Formats: sequence, C-alpha cells, structure tokens
Amino acid sequence: MNFDRRKFLCKTAHAALGASVYSALGNLRLVHAAASANYSFSDYKALVCIFLYGGNDAFNMIVPTDGAHYAQYQTVRPAIALARNTLLPLNAPASGAGSPGDGGSYGFHPAMTDLQALFNQASSPVAIVANVGTLVQPVTKSQYQNGTVAVPPQLFSHNDQQAYWQSSPPSNAPITGWGGRICDLIASANASTLPMLNSLSGEDAFMRGETGNNYIMNAGDAATIDVPDSWDTNANNLKSVFDALRAAGTQGNALERTYAAQINHSLNTAAQINAAINATGMPNFDSFFPAISDSGLDRQLSTVAKLIWAANNGVAGYTGQKRQVFFVSTGGFDTHDRQLPIQPVLLGTLSRSMAGFHRALNSAGLASKATTFTASDFGRTLSCNDDGTDHGWGSHHLVIGGAVTGGRFYGDNPSHTGTAAMPSLALSAGNPNDAGYGQIIPSTSVDQYAATLAGWFGLSASDLALIFPNLTNFSVKNLGFA
Amino acid sequence: MSKTVRIAPRWRRGLVLALAATTFFLDTAHAASKAYQPSSLLLIKPWISGTPADASRFLAQTTFGPTDADIQRLVKLGYLAWLDDQFAAPPTRMLDYLGWVKNTLGEDVDTNHVLEAWWLGALGGPDPGNNALIHRDQLRQRVAFALSEIFVVSTKTTLIDQFPNGQAYFYDVLVNDAFGNFRQLLEDVTLSPAMGVYLNMLSNQRTDSTKNIHPDENYAREVNQLFTVGLVLLNPDGTPQLSGGLPIPTYTQDTVKAFAHVFTGWNWADCNPAVHQNFSDCDVNWTTGANMQQPMAAFANYHDNGTRAPDDLSGKQLLNYPGAANAGLLVDGGTPQSDLKFALDNIFNHPNVGPFIGRQLIQRLVTSNPTPGYVQRIAAVFNDNGHGVRGDLKAVISAIVLDDEARNGAKKYPDSFGKLREPLLRMAHIWRAMGAQHRCGHNKVVTRSDKSVYTEHYAAQPYRYAGWYSAWSTDYLFNQRVMYANSVFNFFRPNFVPPGEMAQKNLYGPEFQITTDSQIAEVTNDVLPRAMWLDIRDTCDSTDDYGDVAIDHLRDLALAGSGQGGPADPADRLVDAYNVRFMGGQMSTYMRTTLLNYLNRIDHYWDNGGTQDWRIARIQRALYLILTSPEYAIQK
Repeated sequence: MNFDRRKFLCKTAHAALGASVYSALGNLRLVHAAASANYSFSDYKALVCIFLYGGNDAFNMIVPTDGAHYAQYQTVRPAIALARNTLLPLNAPASGAGSPGDGGSYGFHPAMTDLQALFNQASSPVAIVANVGTLVQPVTKSQYQNGTVAVPPQLFSHNDQQAYWQSSPPSNAPITGWGGRICDLIASANASTLPMLNSLSGEDAFMRGETGNNYIMNAGDAATIDVPDSWDTNANNLKSVFDALRAAGTQGNALERTYAAQINHSLNTAAQINAAINATGMPNFDSFFPAISDSGLDRQLSTVAKLIWAANNGVAGYTGQKRQVFFVSTGGFDTHDRQLPIQPVLLGTLSRSMAGFHRALNSAGLASKATTFTASDFGRTLSCNDDGTDHGWGSHHLVIGGAVTGGRFYGDNPSHTGTAAMPSLALSAGNPNDAGYGQIIPSTSVDQYAATLAGWFGLSASDLALIFPNLTNFSVKNLGFA
Repeated sequence: MSKTVRIAPRWRRGLVLALAATTFFLDTAHAASKAYQPSSLLLIKPWISGTPADASRFLAQTTFGPTDADIQRLVKLGYLAWLDDQFAAPPTRMLDYLGWVKNTLGEDVDTNHVLEAWWLGALGGPDPGNNALIHRDQLRQRVAFALSEIFVVSTKTTLIDQFPNGQAYFYDVLVNDAFGNFRQLLEDVTLSPAMGVYLNMLSNQRTDSTKNIHPDENYAREVNQLFTVGLVLLNPDGTPQLSGGLPIPTYTQDTVKAFAHVFTGWNWADCNPAVHQNFSDCDVNWTTGANMQQPMAAFANYHDNGTRAPDDLSGKQLLNYPGAANAGLLVDGGTPQSDLKFALDNIFNHPNVGPFIGRQLIQRLVTSNPTPGYVQRIAAVFNDNGHGVRGDLKAVISAIVLDDEARNGAKKYPDSFGKLREPLLRMAHIWRAMGAQHRCGHNKVVTRSDKSVYTEHYAAQPYRYAGWYSAWSTDYLFNQRVMYANSVFNFFRPNFVPPGEMAQKNLYGPEFQITTDSQIAEVTNDVLPRAMWLDIRDTCDSTDDYGDVAIDHLRDLALAGSGQGGPADPADRLVDAYNVRFMGGQMSTYMRTTLLNYLNRIDHYWDNGGTQDWRIARIQRALYLILTSPEYAIQK
C-alpha cells in the first residue's frame, strides 16, 4: 500500500499555516501512514542524533581566537571566559565558503582535543554548523522585538524547545518528530521488518512517527522478557498462558491493548537486536571508548556501531537494513551555575565519544556510511548569571562522518546565501543577533540543518517539504556539509 | 454499624456543596446507608464503601496498593470515615527516619536512606525505631508522591545529590502540605533550598550591568509553566480557551522576565553576603548541611524591587487576569518578602490553577483521561471549598476520589478509563498485598576486610537494606525512582500520547512515556523471581541485592486448594481473591477462564521434587500471570 502523500501534505500544510501564528499548538494530526513503496537503495546509510539535554553552551565550545573577536568575547562573558591561550585552534578557511563568515578565527574548548585533531586533519570528517536554532522563518532583531514575524512558541523553555528541535514544528495530538517522519516516508528502503529507528536513551519526540515503528532499548542491549517456557511441561504451560493474556485483542480497554502491544513489540524485536549485537565476528568497538561505562554516551555509541556493522556484514535479520536512524543522548548541559568547572567534563566526554565513534566505524570501513550530528534544547545566553548562563536560542552544532566535508564552518546568513555567519559577540544593545537579553537569534534553522541531513539520507526534495513544512520559508534548503 | 451525624469538618462540608450539583451517586447497597437519611443537599453517599472489590478500587487510587486488611477496614468504615482517619494519621517524615539512622544507628546518612524513608512511607507498617508506632498515612504519602511528580526536584543534580537531608526536607514539605493549602505548598516549595538549587532561585540576584549579570529565569518559567498555570489559558473544565481556533498563551517571555526579577535576593538561611565578593559565594554548609533544611532567607540588597536604576526592572507586570490584584502589576519599592508574597498570590489566584493542578492530580490518582466535567468539578472545589477558601487540598483530594467518575468511570467509559500503574506503585503493591518482609529480619554484624565490624540493622522491615534492584536503583530498571527524574519535566508528561490505538483515539497515557521496549521487559521480568522464587522463609542472605525482600506465599495456602488439586479441587477461590486484592474485581471473564484452565491442572502430583506444597505452585503462578498481565497493568 502506498503512503498517502497527499494526505500527509494536506495535514502538514495545516501545521505550516498554524505555525505562522502559533505553531506548537496548531491542530496537527498526521495521517496514520501506510508504508511507502517508493524508496530502494543499494547502499547503506545511518543517521545518528546525539542530543545534549539541558541546552549546550556552544559559545564556550567554539570561541574566537583572533584578537578583536576574543576581546568582545571576554567583555560579554567576564565571569566565564576561557583563557585565550588554552583554546584549541581550528584550521578552517580564513574567508569565503567554509570560513566562520566574520573574518575571525576560532578554537575549540580546551577539553576537545580529540575532535580538534579530526577537524584539522586532511579529509576532515568534522564540520561546524554555525548558529542553528528553532525558527519558523528568518527573523531579524527588530522583527523579533516588535513581534512582527512568527517565532517558535515558548522560546527558552527546555521541554518546548526540545520538542521543537526534535519535531520542527511540534504539534499536538500526537506530536511526531522528524526522525520518525523520515522513517515513515523512507520505510520501504528496508527489506527487514526490524524497526528502522532505535533509541538507546529513552523516548522523545524525535523518534515518534506515524507508524510508531521504533525501538527503544538499553544503552548496551535490548532487554528481553524471560518467560519461563521450559517450565511446567503440561500441555498448557505457563508461557502459553502468559501469551494468551498478552494476545492482541483480548483486552477490553484501549490502555490495556496499548500495554499488550508494547509487550508484544518488545518481545518480538529484542531477540533479533541482541543477536545482532553479539554476532559472530563483531569487532571490539568498545575499545575505541576508553571511558566506556554502563549507560553513558560511549556505551550507546558503541552499540550503535555494532548495529551498523551488523547491517553491513550480513548478520541474520539485518541484511535488509539499508537505512537506520539512531538516537543517543547525554545530559547535564543546563549550566546555570559553576559552568567553568562543569563544562570541561561535558565537552571532553562529547569530544572523546564522537571521535571514538568515528574511529570505531573507520576501523571497520564504515565511517562514510554514518553521519552523526548534535542537537540540543537551545543555545545559552551570551550574557551570564554570575558563574553560569541562562537559556538561550541559537547555538553551534557539530556534524561528523566520512561523508561530511569537514574542516569547515557551515550555515546560513542574514543575506540567505547559505554560508556560515558566526553571530556577533557584542553586548546586547549593540548586538544585531541578540534578541535583547543575551539570547542569540539563529541565522540557520533546524529545518535547514535537518533537511541537509535527510537529503544525504536519500529523501527526495518533495518529501523533505513534507517532513519539514517550514523549510519553504528558507531559500537555502541544503547547507552542503554532507 | 451505627451512623451518627457529626459536625462535618470544613473540607467535607465544602465537598458536599460542590458535589451536590453533580449526578454523584454511588451504586451500592451497603447496609449502613439504609439506616441513614441523607439531607436534601446530600445526593451522594460517600460514607458507603460497597463491596470489597469497590474498596479495592478505591484503595488502588488512594494508597500504595490494597491489602486484604485495608479492604476489610474500608468496607467497615466507609469512604468518609476512612478519609477522616487518613487525614488524622500522623505523617511519616523522611527527616525523622534519617534522624533515627544517624542518631540511633550511628550510620552515615546517604541518599539510599532517603529511598528507605520513602519505602517506609509507601509500604507503611511498624516504625523501625519504635515498633509500637504504625505508619499508616497511605493517602498522605500517595498524594505527596503525586506532588513530587508535579513539583519536581531531581537528586540527579549535583549538590542536591550530596545532601540527603536537603532531599528529605523537600519531600517532607510535600508530605506536610499534602493536606494543607496549595498557596502554602507553593511558598514552602519555592523557599526550599533543594528547589532553590534545582531551579536556581537560590542566590539569584538583581541585574548588575557592570558584570553583565541578569536574573535567572529558570524558576520564574517553571513555576508558571509546570507548577501552577501552564502555557495556555484554560476553561474551567481544563480544555484550552481558543481564539481564532488557536490556544491563547497564558503569559509571554516578558512575564517570565518580570517574575525572574521578583525572585531575586534569596539565599542560604545563614548566608552573610558581606563577607563574600559575590552573592553566589554563599554556600551550603558542607559540614552539617544544616542550611539545606532551612527555608531560604531574603537579602534586600540583592533583590530587584524596581528602585535601583538603571538595572532594576521598574513596574513588573506579572500575570494579568480578571480579578488579578492591581492587574498583576507589582508596585516598586517592596521587600523581598512582600514582593514574593505578591508574586505567589498573583500566580495562586490565576483561574488556570484549579483545572491545571486538578487534572494532574486526577491523572496521578485516578485516570489519564478525565472528562472535562470531572476536571471542572475538581476545579470548582479548588476555587472554593464551600467556605470561600481557595486551594484547600483536603477538599480537592476528597473530591477527586469521591467523584462519580472516580468511582464509576470504569463502567461508564470502559474503553478509556484508568491509568497505567507506575512501576514504583506496582512494586509497592505486591509487597504490601503479600506481606513482604526483609528475609534477614534481624540485625547482623558484618566484618569488613580490615577486620573492623559494623552492624546492619534490618529491623525486619522491607525498606531496610531493601537492595540495589529492589529499592535503590529502580531508575535503572524501571525509569522511575523517587525524586530522580531526568528533568523538571518529570519521568513523563501529562500530555504524552502513546502511538497506535491511543493516538488514533486521542487518549493521553503519561506513564507510557517511560514504558519503553526495555522497560516493559524489565517490569515484566521483575515479577518472575518475586512471584516464583523468593519467599519470606528463605534463608537470609545479606549479600543478595535482589531477593532480600520477599513475599509470604503461605498466607494464601488455604485459598489455593483444600484437597488434592486438579479440576476437582479448583483454584477459583484463589483467582477470585486475587482478582479483588490486585485488580479491584475487574478481571475479564476471558482472563479468569484462561487462568483457571491452567491453574486447575496443578494438583498434588505437582511436588517440585517433593520439596513444596503443590498449592504454592498455584499461588506462584497465579501471581506471576496476574502481575504481568495487561489487564492488571491498567489501574481502573
């Protein structure tokens, strides 16, 4: 059965219309989608979303190193400015495409040595996308302050902005995310019935699609239900009764049926996933993550590497998987207080994990098959609250993968020509990017960022317009980093 | 049982007035009610408790799980007398427990003791320090737990994680105020150091443009968005007000900013800013933690009262709504205390609070999808308890659990009524209902590797050393542990809609948000050893982190059979008893028949190698199958 793109379009068009007034609460209700039959690929690709919960302060992750810009930085963040001589220089082009766009030079936070090395190497796999954030359409400071252009609702609120980042635009009843919507439309790419989307760190908007065919697992494996089927050798054994009680359609209440469906989904999928993780010949990907623990980002990414390997190495059940989407996360980025001592841990972990993942895939010849990107609630204010920062808006993000043209800055700019534009670091009043209180107005929308990723993944331009209904408001629809 | 008409307490009189307008009528024929002639106002008969099955359903909503004893007691007392008894029951406070651990046992208090304290309240029973004292404040504890999922503080946060007394102080605020007034609760939460640390109101200060510092908006935003009024204007029945087909925001970013400026100038109770360079240099008392259990104190120099140009925000516009004092405009020149009072009054009196909080309390206790009429009835009680008092939580809670929809919703809305049981409630339920105890049951002297010794004080209670899996790390398996949410948005959101059938039917299912593929496997697997293997009579093994708390299978031996087993000695008494105890008598015919077809085959030849009574096999398997079933998973 064909996915009904006309209905999908109709519904998302409503969302876009609602978005122009109040997008998060538009009465969006997408159709219950049937699988698309339109996509077929001979190659394999994976998208990996690393969500940084809490709102990463990218203005201390990527910091100016040239004198003029550094002086501005130091003035605007006196309490939390990093020392200039500790920054890790980034060898991006000095001007033109691929440069930061403001004539300046930049460096990583001192804790990010692993990613710095990858950014600066030949055929770099690491790209920086400048000043990305939630937008309905491009907006200037005066437009924002005068309220003449629609902006996402509940800016600066964690939950709402997480939802907006992951769904763009969000909606009610039920909310779907762009990871889930990508999978809805591209579902036909996979011969296997395994869920296309795996989360290794819980449920969130990103993975919600129309068909709900995702799998939310532990960081290291899929938990299996241990029904004691070998016991009770009576013809009518314990397992058969357990199965009878969870059987679809035997319950009289929608919540009970939903619970039963979830048990069944868990049971049917877990065994296949665990078999893949433990497949014969699986490389020792854990060794690329020296600090690997039970459930952290390293463990999640190592498991992702194993599942990517399984899909590329003929592991039973995974042979038909041509497209996979993964969601991993790490938290603690809401640095209102004591940011200086906290951030080295956060960013050091992120840097080592991302680099370790890339090296792990590279060791198995899989680096070009996965594109990994960061996302977060929002950026943080350029101004500070004593020794921390508050909820902001635009923020820089990182993309890594063998298919990425790295060592460069990407993004859109106020002239909408599709090159990076690092925001001004001037104090609020004189800062054209400052919404008024230290929050930086994004120059690049989540839709542009996500559509670039989805375009690499193989979605057609017309399907990108369905998945990202507000993409039409931006003239540049592909940022070109992958 | 004789019925004497007493002067009803305030909460009850308000309740009667508020509910009189509804079609509230309990369908029961309890004998005691026939002797009692209700007044003309009193259409309801909430003193009736009905059948044991009805009582079990009521207790599923109001306690940490029905037990046979509680069911019998409620049937005898009736709902009203039971509520009165619960309102009067002495609160179980975490700080009391921590004090016993520290002062009597001489142990270093840590976060695990906070969890033990929570289990003590949740499970009830004898106090470990004074066995004559029975903890029985189930309703208060259940409501406090619900409040902890609205007023969220997470011990995942650094600093809070290091001060168990600060965690306990915060939770005790919820326990103490659960039957008080919402306005008091709001203030006590606001000034608690744990919340001050968690959402950054502690050491929040007025703008200092020389340092480019401005007030932090975290508490200002969340107290509005999550704790009181929510994002959009609500009708009294909780549905969003619409303008041109779209919801209307309750406030703007400017409102959040204004509140942020109000919530300045508060710090640790013993803070002395004069000796520090920065306001935020005041610190927790690392030695004693004493200031973690004292309300924050005000420091006027750091409070924005609108008078210090150019940094202060003059004329702070807070929430404006019909009837708002001074149209929500805060007059300059106040003190930290007077400004806080104005701001909290301003929030408390917003018409959204009743439906916003009322709906969430209904969701925590009764059903994920209350009808608008149900929400409206509760909001009306919140707005006025019948005596002109707003925010009377005793009246609100009573109205929620006595409402016709709470009592009869499963019959009226069989397809959508109910809620997914939370993992911690499931665990508490099996332990309470099956007489769980710690298997060690006595104090044990343990020798460390360096030959020094210490004593483990099991005190025969399940909550003492309940174990890593059992109590301390339920977050790891079940995505839920008290005061351990990932963020201020709790373990799950009230408006979460699970994909599939419920999405198609527009049904909310908050608890489904943590019911991932892995979590549902762990929740299911957890039942297996508890039902099948672990028994209270097993040998104590203090190194066992899983099975050290075990249930009592033998208590139900007489129910499981009286003869030789098999179809001639069927298991229907056992299944019917468990139906009442665990499922409020709501087991479907299909499930009952399926269970009996299996359990009836178990007979005296089923001897597990001759080591156990065959009836135990019936008990074990009935428990396993019921507690893993989708029908049980939904509290209806």
